[in-house]
Amino acid sequence: MAATGLLLGLILVLGCFSEICVATISFSSLQTTLVVTVSHPRRLLRAGEDKITVRWGLNQSLPAGTDSAYKTIKVQLCYAPISQVDRAWRKTEEHLSKDKTCQFKIVKMPYTTGNQTLEWTIERDVPTATYFVRAYALDANDHEVAYGQNTDAKKTTNLFEIQAISGRHVSLDIASVCFSVFSIVSLMGFFFVEKRTGRKAQQ
Amino acid sequence: MEISSTITETEPQKFALPVDSEHKATEFHLFSSAAPHMRAFHLSWISFFSCFVSTFAAPPLLPIIRDNLNLTATDIGNAGVASVSGAVFARIAMGTACDLFGPRLASASLILLTAPAVYFTSIASSPISFLLVRFFTGFSLATFVSAQFWMSSMFSGPVVGTANGVAAGWGNLGGGATQLIMPLVFSLIRDIGAVKFTAWRIAFFIPALFQTLSAFAILIFGQDLPDGNYQRLQNSGNKQKDKFSRVFYHGITNYRGWILALTYGYCFGVELTVDNIIAEYFYDRFNLKLHTAGIIAASFGLANIVSRPAGGVLSDMMAKRFGMRGRLWALWAVQTLGGVFCIILGQVGSLTASIVVMIVFSVFVQAACGLTFGVVPFVSRRSLGVISGMTGGGGNVGAVLTQLIFFKGSKYSKETGITLMGVMIVCCTLPIFLIYFPQWGGMFCGPSSEKIATEEDYYLSEWSSKEQGKGLHQASLKFADNSRSERGRRVHSQTLPSNATPSANV
Repeated sequence: MAATGLLLGLILVLGCFSEICVATISFSSLQTTLVVTVSHPRRLLRAGEDKITVRWGLNQSLPAGTDSAYKTIKVQLCYAPISQVDRAWRKTEEHLSKDKTCQFKIVKMPYTTGNQTLEWTIERDVPTATYFVRAYALDANDHEVAYGQNTDAKKTTNLFEIQAISGRHVSLDIASVCFSVFSIVSLMGFFFVEKRTGRKAQQ
Repeated sequence: MEISSTITETEPQKFALPVDSEHKATEFHLFSSAAPHMRAFHLSWISFFSCFVSTFAAPPLLPIIRDNLNLTATDIGNAGVASVSGAVFARIAMGTACDLFGPRLASASLILLTAPAVYFTSIASSPISFLLVRFFTGFSLATFVSAQFWMSSMFSGPVVGTANGVAAGWGNLGGGATQLIMPLVFSLIRDIGAVKFTAWRIAFFIPALFQTLSAFAILIFGQDLPDGNYQRLQNSGNKQKDKFSRVFYHGITNYRGWILALTYGYCFGVELTVDNIIAEYFYDRFNLKLHTAGIIAASFGLANIVSRPAGGVLSDMMAKRFGMRGRLWALWAVQTLGGVFCIILGQVGSLTASIVVMIVFSVFVQAACGLTFGVVPFVSRRSLGVISGMTGGGGNVGAVLTQLIFFKGSKYSKETGITLMGVMIVCCTLPIFLIYFPQWGGMFCGPSSEKIATEEDYYLSEWSSKEQGKGLHQASLKFADNSRSERGRRVHSQTLPSNATPSANV
């Protein structure tokens, strides 16, 4: 009896502590060593159709060897502050494991010195919002050590908008209307039949 | 008290279950579907389940829908409020409709009239259209009233708490089942090849079709009363058609109905609120995957499979020993404990502890719902539908208020909102102290000793002497006699007074 109680207590306590053991890298501890630029055909882009061209590389004015620890580069599509208003699920947090600013991965590939370019077709599940692009440099343990983004520190310049697909199809619209009409009509049909059998039983 | 043949002039009826003088079953056999009693039970819980599935089909998919329709937290909160506010008046209207037209037609009509709202959810394209479809879909929750009314018409005092508890509990299960069903259907459709923003739309056809089919089943297989349908009984003169204004008046002037409406708002209303917010709460706070959050959220609603029926069974057990006073004490105690666990839920910060506390909280809150409807059938006989509707509507008002105050926009974090909701539960359960039946007593007072108060006095007070002269009160008289079991163990030691003489006709 006491043993099971102790075991249950131990499980609960361990459960409480498990949150603390995840690596807590904070955003402000990262160095801004990468330079990222994004070019796009127009200001309002369409998900699933338009492409953006992303260029990233180490800031050339930094001493050589700054990027010796960088093993992987992760480029992500991130929400601009205006698209985070009243949406706690896109909130920017200091600790990277809790941060929800960047939710779409553009590419994750091994790091090479020199500038890289990528043309990326915006995926169809990207929602309507205003975005910027950020690149994280990861070390051998897959931890972020540096970053760069195509906008300024306040995230106000060089933003671009993406318009999502609606997800609707004509066939869905037609099916909805037909089934709805069927429901109402069948109800009226039932009433009609009931009244008729009621009248017959009375006669 | 077991009569198995009828005295109407139509055809002699034999029932599969033992019945009382009103032909209501005195036993509840869960695994039978014998007409009319158990069949009515299965039809009512399944149709109510389908309405719950439809009303809460959106919350588990909100992480997808909020991106597709560009919703803000305020939009989501508003839609959540809308989803439960429609049913406030729909439930009261449904109560009256049941009194006048019978539960079969009333519930089937409502279900078929709200099915289009579920179909149209598939084509929602903005925050406003999303709010509108959730609003109209929410009307279908009024089937709760018809389900309870139907059970109270089919099952007698000693088992009415159990019948109401199981029917409502298994119906409420829909709120939990949908948190499992919708993410599953969504992933299936997405894996077949549809893109995310289309897959959720197709998924909504499942609850809509289920709802439509359940309405058909009620119309084809159900009947209002053990003796038949309202229309046929009214045509053959076996049931008097009552006046809407009198039914409504006697319902809303009974203060017990209002108190139960308030307290039900803080067990059932809380349950609806949690159905709306819990999946997003786990998804966002603990960074879980969509379908993991759905499974955890589902376990809240799934507890209904036993906890609400347990409330009903507990109510009947307490009544057997302590009568109506036992029912009231059990209701207050269980609901207050539910509030305490709600406060704790908002305070715990780890995933495991949250899940454990949530499950305990759900058991207490749902049992309180079952206990409430152990009391409701006795508040009024003439206006049973209106009282059921008021109580049920009060449940939704509680959900609307709670979501408006604590879960709209970004004013409180969800965890703070949950704690404050727990405090409100404890406070709003206190009015149960004020419920008093002259013939049975209340929580702190025994039955009235000033005059000999009887069940007949209480139920016949709903009929004027003119109406009694016409013999309209016969059903209430039978009910008063059958409800003597609410005295608890005292029923055998007290002689029954004979001051209520029924008029001598039929």
